Amino acid sequence: MAEAVAVGADRESLGGRLRDIGFWADWAAVIGLVALVIVFGLASPSFLTLGNIQAMLVSAAILIVLAVGQTFVIATSGIDLSIASIMTFGAVVLGLLYAAGWPILLACLVGVVAAGLAGVINGTLVAKGRIPDFVVTLGMFSAASGAALILSDGKPTQVVDGFLLALASGSVGPFGYFIVVAAVVVVVAHVALFHTRFGVHVLATGGNAEGARAMGIRTGRVRLAVYLISGVLAGVGAILLVSRVGAAEPAINTTYLLNAIAAVVLGGVSLQGGRGNILGPVVGALLLTALTNGLTLLGISQYYQPLAVGVVVVMAALLMRYQR
Amino acid sequence: MASARSWRARRFRRGVAGLALAAVAVAACAPPDRSAEVAAIIKGLDNPFFQAMGQGIEDGATGPVTVQAAQSTADTTGQADKLSAVAVQGFGCYIINPISGTNLVQSLSLIAKQGKPVINIDSPVNAEAARLAGATLASYVGTDNTHAGQVAGDFLAGRLPAGAKVALIGGTAGDVTSRARLDGFRAAVDGKLTVSQTVDVNEWSRSEALTRAEEIMRANPDLAGFFVANDDMGLGVSRAVQNAGKSDQVRVVSVDGVEDGLRAVKSGQLAATVAQYPYTIGEMGVEACRAAAAGHTLPATVNAPVALVTQDNAADALSAFPKPFEQYDDPYRQLLQQ
Amino acid sequence: MTQQSGTAVLSTEATADALLVATGISKSFGNVRALQDVSVWLPRGQITALIGDNGAGKSTLVRVLSGVHPADEGSLTFDGSPVRFASPEDARTAGIETVHQNLALIDDLTVWQNLFLNRELVRGFGPLSFLDRKRMQEQAEKMLSRLSVNVPPIRSKVRRLSGGQRQAVAISRAAGWGSKLVIMDEPTAALGVQETARVEELVKGLRADGMTVLLISHNFDQVMRLADQVWVMRAGRLAAGRRTQDTDGEELVGLVTGAITS
Repeated sequence: MAEAVAVGADRESLGGRLRDIGFWADWAAVIGLVALVIVFGLASPSFLTLGNIQAMLVSAAILIVLAVGQTFVIATSGIDLSIASIMTFGAVVLGLLYAAGWPILLACLVGVVAAGLAGVINGTLVAKGRIPDFVVTLGMFSAASGAALILSDGKPTQVVDGFLLALASGSVGPFGYFIVVAAVVVVVAHVALFHTRFGVHVLATGGNAEGARAMGIRTGRVRLAVYLISGVLAGVGAILLVSRVGAAEPAINTTYLLNAIAAVVLGGVSLQGGRGNILGPVVGALLLTALTNGLTLLGISQYYQPLAVGVVVVMAALLMRYQR
Repeated sequence: MASARSWRARRFRRGVAGLALAAVAVAACAPPDRSAEVAAIIKGLDNPFFQAMGQGIEDGATGPVTVQAAQSTADTTGQADKLSAVAVQGFGCYIINPISGTNLVQSLSLIAKQGKPVINIDSPVNAEAARLAGATLASYVGTDNTHAGQVAGDFLAGRLPAGAKVALIGGTAGDVTSRARLDGFRAAVDGKLTVSQTVDVNEWSRSEALTRAEEIMRANPDLAGFFVANDDMGLGVSRAVQNAGKSDQVRVVSVDGVEDGLRAVKSGQLAATVAQYPYTIGEMGVEACRAAAAGHTLPATVNAPVALVTQDNAADALSAFPKPFEQYDDPYRQLLQQ
Repeated sequence: MTQQSGTAVLSTEATADALLVATGISKSFGNVRALQDVSVWLPRGQITALIGDNGAGKSTLVRVLSGVHPADEGSLTFDGSPVRFASPEDARTAGIETVHQNLALIDDLTVWQNLFLNRELVRGFGPLSFLDRKRMQEQAEKMLSRLSVNVPPIRSKVRRLSGGQRQAVAISRAAGWGSKLVIMDEPTAALGVQETARVEELVKGLRADGMTVLLISHNFDQVMRLADQVWVMRAGRLAAGRRTQDTDGEELVGLVTGAITS
């Protein structure tokens, strides 16, 4: 019966759907992004220039990679508060190995592995230690940034390397390598979440862990795996970060943590878990980037930017309550 | 059901594309010419030092100027994003105060393609990284922070008995400015005073500096002085000294010369501050842009003024604030006056 | 004062074609003796009910049979051979499926995804195996087509289903994997009259297909309507066994409360 009603709703006229708040809730991030593009496009002639769009996509790339990692964790009803400090940790490992004369590709690889290990520690404590995600990753947030400070002795390491410089400024056609990397991450993540057994088990673990266990799904392993994914993607983010700022810096940038979670929420992924979606958080990340970029172009003081982000996120969350 | 959904998605996508195209069309109508304008990207406005710098840039400009700042002094990529964003608007000259030596390099390579002058103020861009990215800087103006630390060290070494114990409080671990100031101080007091310990305070937090100072005094009852890497934290430390009832015993010296700092020197809470003039640095940055626009060749490096402010001259320093109370060299102004 | 029943008593000696035989099962949790020397058997292709008050040991017995808790003492024989279940997977591999009271359905997944949960069909090899959605959907249609009524749309999310439809999905999933025994824990406890009737039809349908069913229920009328035989538990022990044709609701109530001993 319920389904019959729902099918009817799908066939409603456009006007009917526009009046249905559920429609707006499902498309919150996309609608928000389109609205911003229109507003900023009208207000600032530079906003929709090719150069600016390229710059926005490049600056969204790190956030997209982190948001994808965060999506996997949140889909299992967890949360990774340590994602930005693991990225910093990975960056410091990368930087120190590079400074010690390792080949850049090997340094990058070990940086990713180090970040992945931090993720494994998170996952093990959550899955085997039965400690709440929030507590574990809050601890890792501190521990990973502490490790980064200790390893680096608090000093930034210059990583001035041709390969990373090319990664930051080179492009394939109009698309910078950053965008290409982010796109590959997004596609792989989408396939993993929706076209593999693992993805189904992630959603099942988040939706009903007890039920998933009753069906023989090893939810502990699934949790371990999502934190591993989150850690590895933080490591990928670290490579992008080092190549973008040209140095491995031990100071952590908490904006990335908050924006990664905000992007996931904007993308319609429920913090209660069970509902996953990769493209939503990507649009959320683009929205947050466009918001900051547009306000910068308009010359609006950066004081207003965190406020704007907060308002957008809370509005999206309110709208999300009407999701179908 | 599936087909209904994809139909809906298709309709929706078409709508989105249409709206985006419309916006592009509108945007294409009115490209404003900003080639006579100046854009400045500085470190942050959450600190009086950078507020004064921003003010100096705005006051020094004769035409329109856009000042943007990073979200915080850890927001390295955010600052780079902002520079990229203003770079596409085609300003005539860019003033940058980078958070780190390299974080703006990639965005600078965008500007390098436009051939517009870039004035580096305050924190220097890493020369090697700039060269690799093909970025060129027209001029650098800033304070020698090591020198500022030395001035503070000489002052405290002159006021305290030989071998007296001092503690150093730096800003965010790894911050270049903090490190330079501390290194300068250490070099100046070497062999004269005893540095009991050095702590770094995350995000240059005043309240955390206060807490650290209390702990240090508890651990070192015979402490005679603090060197603090900026005024804001210095005020927190002087509060800790007052709270401990040691105002007569422990002297606090900091660097920056912000208005609150100068007042604290006048009232005796701070023994001295080494004043740097962010306002003047900002002003000189805009003058450099004007000089470049007028076709002058700019000097590669200009040292901004530094002055030791003690109780003797604090009143003068306050009345001239935010400008220096002593004479100083301004090579850009000399170029403009030619 | 207690009545003594006569010939209707069901022996704990299993008949030769019993699908599952549990002999002398005991289970303790710390100092609590949850089960003491319980022996029951389930006739093949029939519906057996398990009744008793709260705390009588029904759930513990079900957990032992479905591999959740291994028994401390006693033995299990399933389909003619002795078995030992260390985990629910062991029991499932042997052919015992359990429909838990919470149904173990994932609300935000579709009906077909729930039917194939942890048994997803894939194409490809190793890390490059991808879900074969089309084949799973086709098979899901077949699995559900056995339900004459109450067929939920397979592509709809479970969240949108009615209580009876959810029960139907959970039961179809349990019955759909070549299983030999389906254990159902209070399948109609949360349902209205109409939905209860539909689920009962579904359970009868399983028996018609030759499935063996163990039904835990509080509803004696339902037990009389559905079951072929009944085991009654009281205070961790087996209190009695009856063929439903030889008993009535009143006697079952007496056996559960202890007013009647057999």
